[in-house]
Amino acid sequence: MNFTNLMTVATDNLLPARLQMAFTLGFHIILACLGVGMPVLMLAAEWRFLKTGDELWRTLARRWSKAFAVLFAVGAVSGTVLSFELGLLWPELMGRWGSVIGLPFTMEGFAFFLEAIFAGIYLYGWDRLPARVHWYTGWPVAVSGFMSAFFVVTANSWMNAPTGFRLVDGKIVDVEPFAAMFNVATGAQTTHMLVAAYLVTGFSVASFYALRILRGSQHPYDRRALTLSLLLALPFAPVQSVVGDWSAKVVAKSQPVKLAAMEGLFETQRRAPLHIGGIPNKTTRKTDYAISIPGGLSFLAYGDFNAEVKGLNDFPDADIPPVAVVHVAFQIMVGIGTPMVLVTVWCAITYFRTRAWPRSRFFLWLIVLLGPLSILAMETGWVVTEVGRQPWIVQGYMRTTEAVTQAPGVWEVFGVTLAIYFVIGIGTIVVLRQLAQQPLPENPHGA
Amino acid sequence: MGPDDILLIVMLTALTLYALLGGADFGAGVWEFTTALQASDKERQHIYKAIGPVWEANHVWLIFVLVILLNGFPIAFAGLSRALWLPLLLALCGIVFRGASYAFRSHSHGSHRELRLWEAVFAIASTATPFFLGAAAGAVASGKLAITSTGEYNDDYLSGWLSPLAVFTGFYMIVMCAFLSAVFLFREADHVNDSELKLLWRQRSLSTGIWMGVLSLGGLVMVELESPSLVAGFLSRGWPLILVSLTCGVGSLVEVWRGRSTRAVIASSGAVAAVIWGWGVSQYPVILPPGITSAMAKAPDNVLWIMVGVIMTGAVLLLPALAYLFMLFKSNPAEPKRVES
Repeated sequence: MNFTNLMTVATDNLLPARLQMAFTLGFHIILACLGVGMPVLMLAAEWRFLKTGDELWRTLARRWSKAFAVLFAVGAVSGTVLSFELGLLWPELMGRWGSVIGLPFTMEGFAFFLEAIFAGIYLYGWDRLPARVHWYTGWPVAVSGFMSAFFVVTANSWMNAPTGFRLVDGKIVDVEPFAAMFNVATGAQTTHMLVAAYLVTGFSVASFYALRILRGSQHPYDRRALTLSLLLALPFAPVQSVVGDWSAKVVAKSQPVKLAAMEGLFETQRRAPLHIGGIPNKTTRKTDYAISIPGGLSFLAYGDFNAEVKGLNDFPDADIPPVAVVHVAFQIMVGIGTPMVLVTVWCAITYFRTRAWPRSRFFLWLIVLLGPLSILAMETGWVVTEVGRQPWIVQGYMRTTEAVTQAPGVWEVFGVTLAIYFVIGIGTIVVLRQLAQQPLPENPHGA
Repeated sequence: MGPDDILLIVMLTALTLYALLGGADFGAGVWEFTTALQASDKERQHIYKAIGPVWEANHVWLIFVLVILLNGFPIAFAGLSRALWLPLLLALCGIVFRGASYAFRSHSHGSHRELRLWEAVFAIASTATPFFLGAAAGAVASGKLAITSTGEYNDDYLSGWLSPLAVFTGFYMIVMCAFLSAVFLFREADHVNDSELKLLWRQRSLSTGIWMGVLSLGGLVMVELESPSLVAGFLSRGWPLILVSLTCGVGSLVEVWRGRSTRAVIASSGAVAAVIWGWGVSQYPVILPPGITSAMAKAPDNVLWIMVGVIMTGAVLLLPALAYLFMLFKSNPAEPKRVES
């Protein structure tokens, strides 16, 4: 094959390869979040059991651990798919940059290994280990889940803010893997993701039990499950808005074009406005229908209402990501984050006044909605990160077209993948529903 | 010995453990597949109980091999991904169905028919996956990959993994998994002292063991016909390991015959490990034939040394944990008390 030929193949493969990566990553990330968060909930419920001796807590922990087992197993295989896809879809990325950014994957290999070992011990150890020892064996599951997520996101943050090497005549020299791992984007991005994982877990689980209570369940089991999961999610909601702000400031520094796309800002200006909502129009080069807060973006990005923010017009066309997608995704994410914070404030005020949770049906419905919405917020956040980096796969160093596979049949593979994941997704939901529908012990305070 | 050699040894060790532990898990599915119509519920329970707790950990060895290759030998990782695009995707397909259906089967409270469905998916995927992984390995061994000598694309994406040696290796891998699984399950049956299951797995170990022997000799002939470079490696360096493998193989049959299950497990593991190491040693320093050697594909030395450090640190955490897992579930013959909540 000659060079022009290769370039056509690369362009043809770009869209299906990106769709394939986006879809399999988007699927896995939900399971990954639950894999990070569920162990915390299991440990909390089991800790209540150890403290109080109340069997109902144990039942709750045990049932959550079964759900976790299913989610972990599906997450393990969907994660395996991703690790293979790094090479299968983006062989040039890994062939060229593997030595710079492979280290977090090696570390993640260990973290995942420890997680799998202790998941086995915890899940099958309920009747084999003394109660307290069993509780201890759950800790490594929670910690290594956390570490896995951390390591993988450091690799992604490097793609946004590549460092830890020098280029001499196109050759990579002076590779420093730790410098690559701990780049300027690492802190904000890993924190943002880990907090998101706890938010997604907390709100998804809470959503499920809120719905059961709305449907008339009076069992203390559901109340307790709701309380624990909200205790995980709610405190993180305000934290996430602070971390999100930190993230935006890092993006302003390391990827100004991404920030401009997130905000739909075309013109470089001082007192740059913050656009709320709106649809960026690439032909008129304006963001239509948005509410503008003058100086808002300058302040958010640089802490100064008069700071200059570079707009899309001042970047070469070839370096600009799909603006509308990035802007809308960003608006959705922020738009979901806001009610999460408001619900936290509501709960805090109600608790301060009455020493109890809000009990209205409206509150419960809100919680029901926040489950799927929290997942949507996390997914749109990834759209901002990944689509916002386009057309680069390694910001400033390698374009996505240069990295993509030249293998035939990528569209067909994507079609088959959709079908397989559909079956697996349905299977997961069916089995989780069956687990949830198992009858509870008659006596509400015994097992 | 440079850091690249240390990493190659680590990788080959991980690959061996995947072949043994993961292979036995695959084999359990192969047995379900081949005996779907006759197996009793008791037999199935025996299988599921044996692999349950260690299942996920055994799978991670594959990820481990992959990330070390990606990090330490990125050019080989990219070349392998290009050359074996299709068989690796098909293997992935199998891995997804297998992992998911196993979890569904273990935790589903659905109808009998639903359980049977997931069992069937598990059995089929467990048989297909080692075939494609084996074919991928066989393609590497054959040296006829769909890439150029520097790892760039070659048009023909079917060449290599559909060569006679590769297809043979695919089937060989299925039988190997079935054999390992039979011997491992023989030991499990021995531990719970169930004479009926013991008899069953003893017979199965013997029959697949004999097949393994025949196929192994056939495999040597195949290599001789198809992969001259590997033959040269066998003759200069790899031959002692071939002898070790044959000895262990015969030894495992003798031990199964005598009913000494733990020794049989050790001998059969030795036979399989020696095949993998024989291949690796004979092919060294080539990672991806024909052209990609360790020296060509490796990351800079400072990166490799950091990896060695990370792996040693990780091993300090990992090995005791792994030992605890296996001690808890594999050396305790007593039935656990079952308390359903």
